[in-house]
Amino acid sequence: MIIDVHVHPAFYNPICPDAERITKRKTVMGYDLMSPFPLDIVRKQMRFAGIDKLVLLPEDTTTLDGEAVLSNEEIATLVRMEPERFIGFASVDPHRDDALDILEHAFSVQHLRGLKLHPSKQQFYPNDPKMFPIYELCARHNVPITFHCGLSWQPDTYLKYAHPYLFEDIAIRYPQLRINLAHLGFPWVVETAAIILKYPNVYADTACCYMDCPEQFFEQLFLRQMGPLWVEHNLADKILFGSNNPRFRPARIKRGLESLPFSEETMGKILGGNAVKFLGLEA
Amino acid sequence: MVEFIKIQKCSEKEFELIKITDDIRAAVNGSKIKNGMIFVVVAHTTAGIMVNESLPCLEKDIETSLEELVPLHKNYAHSHFLPSYGAIGGNAPGHLKSMLAGNHCAIPLIDGKPMLGMAQDVYLAEFDGVQMRTVMIEILGE
Repeated sequence: MIIDVHVHPAFYNPICPDAERITKRKTVMGYDLMSPFPLDIVRKQMRFAGIDKLVLLPEDTTTLDGEAVLSNEEIATLVRMEPERFIGFASVDPHRDDALDILEHAFSVQHLRGLKLHPSKQQFYPNDPKMFPIYELCARHNVPITFHCGLSWQPDTYLKYAHPYLFEDIAIRYPQLRINLAHLGFPWVVETAAIILKYPNVYADTACCYMDCPEQFFEQLFLRQMGPLWVEHNLADKILFGSNNPRFRPARIKRGLESLPFSEETMGKILGGNAVKFLGLEA
Repeated sequence: MVEFIKIQKCSEKEFELIKITDDIRAAVNGSKIKNGMIFVVVAHTTAGIMVNESLPCLEKDIETSLEELVPLHKNYAHSHFLPSYGAIGGNAPGHLKSMLAGNHCAIPLIDGKPMLGMAQDVYLAEFDGVQMRTVMIEILGE
C-alpha cells in the first residue's frame, strides 16, 4: 500500500465554497497562482502516481488569523466523501482556550486519526510544558502527531520553533506517542536523522523539495548530507513518503524517491509500510 | 462572423496525446459559419496543439522523440522555489515540449466541413498532467 502522509487539500473543490475563503487560505498558507480542482483530478493523480491513500492535513491559526483556514470539519467532509482514499488529521491552534475540547471532538466525533501541529506558524515551542496536555490527549486516543519541522514556505513562520532537537523532550516524555518530523527537518537533516535513529516512536517524512528537482534534492539529502547507507542500514523503518502537495506533485516526489538506490524492501517501507505503523493501520 | 467555443479535457497521465478532432467537428456542426477558418488554441503553457496521424506507433514516436529532446532530468533553471506560486517549478520539460508543439493550429472551413487531410487528426498534447485543460475553438467566416 502506497501512502502519502503529507497533503494539504487547500484547493479540493468540495471545501472551496467561495473566492473569499480561497484567497484567505492562499494568503495564510503561502500559495498563489493555484485554483480549486475537482476530486476527480485527485483520483486521477493518485491513479497515475500509484498512490492508494492520502493523509489530509488541516491548519488552525485562529488566534493569528481569526479562523482555521483549513478546518477539521472540512477535512472530515472530504474523508466522508472518499473514505477509502483519504485519512483525515486534525489541527488545533494550541493558544486557543478550547484546544482540548476541539481535539476531543475531532477524535471522538469527527473520527480524525491524527494531529498536525505547525510550531513555526502557530508560534509555540514544541517542548513547552503548556503543550503537554495536548500530547497526553493524543496518546490517550492513540493518534499520531505530525509536526512541521525545519523550514516552512508559509509566511510568518519562524525556524526557531522548529528545530528537530525541540522534539526530543516529547519523544522521551511520551514514548508511546508516534511522532512525525515533517520535511526531514530541512535544513537540519542530519539532526533529524539523529532523533529518528535514537527514538523508536519518531519518524520523518519526505515532504520537502526546497531546491532543484526531487531527484537532485533527494540525492543531496539521502546520499550526501546523510551517508549513502544510513537509510538502508539504520533508518529504513523511520522514513515516510510525504509530498507536501499542492506545493509539489505527489507523482514527482514519489519518482524522486524511487530514483534513490535503496533496496526494494526499504523503498516499500518508505512508500507505505512505515506509514501503516505510524498511522496505526495495522490489522 | 466569429464564433467561440471552449472545451475542457482532463488528462490522465503526465504525457498524453488526446485526440480532439471530433470535438472540433462538433463545434463546426453547431456553428452557423460555413466558410472561413477554424483556429484551435490551447490556454496553457505546458500543453500544446498538434496535427498528426492518429496511429499508436506514431504517438509513441512523438513521445519518445520529445523525451530525447527535452529529458526529464536536466539542470533546468526553472527547478527552484517560485514565490509567485508558493511551489517549486517542477515542470520545465512541459514548458519546453509545449514550445516545440506550439499552442495552436488553423484549419480551413469549406462548405461546413473542416478541411483536414485524410491522415490528419488534431491532438491536445498534455506535457504536464494530470490536469484539467482548456482548448479554445474560434471559427471566423460567414
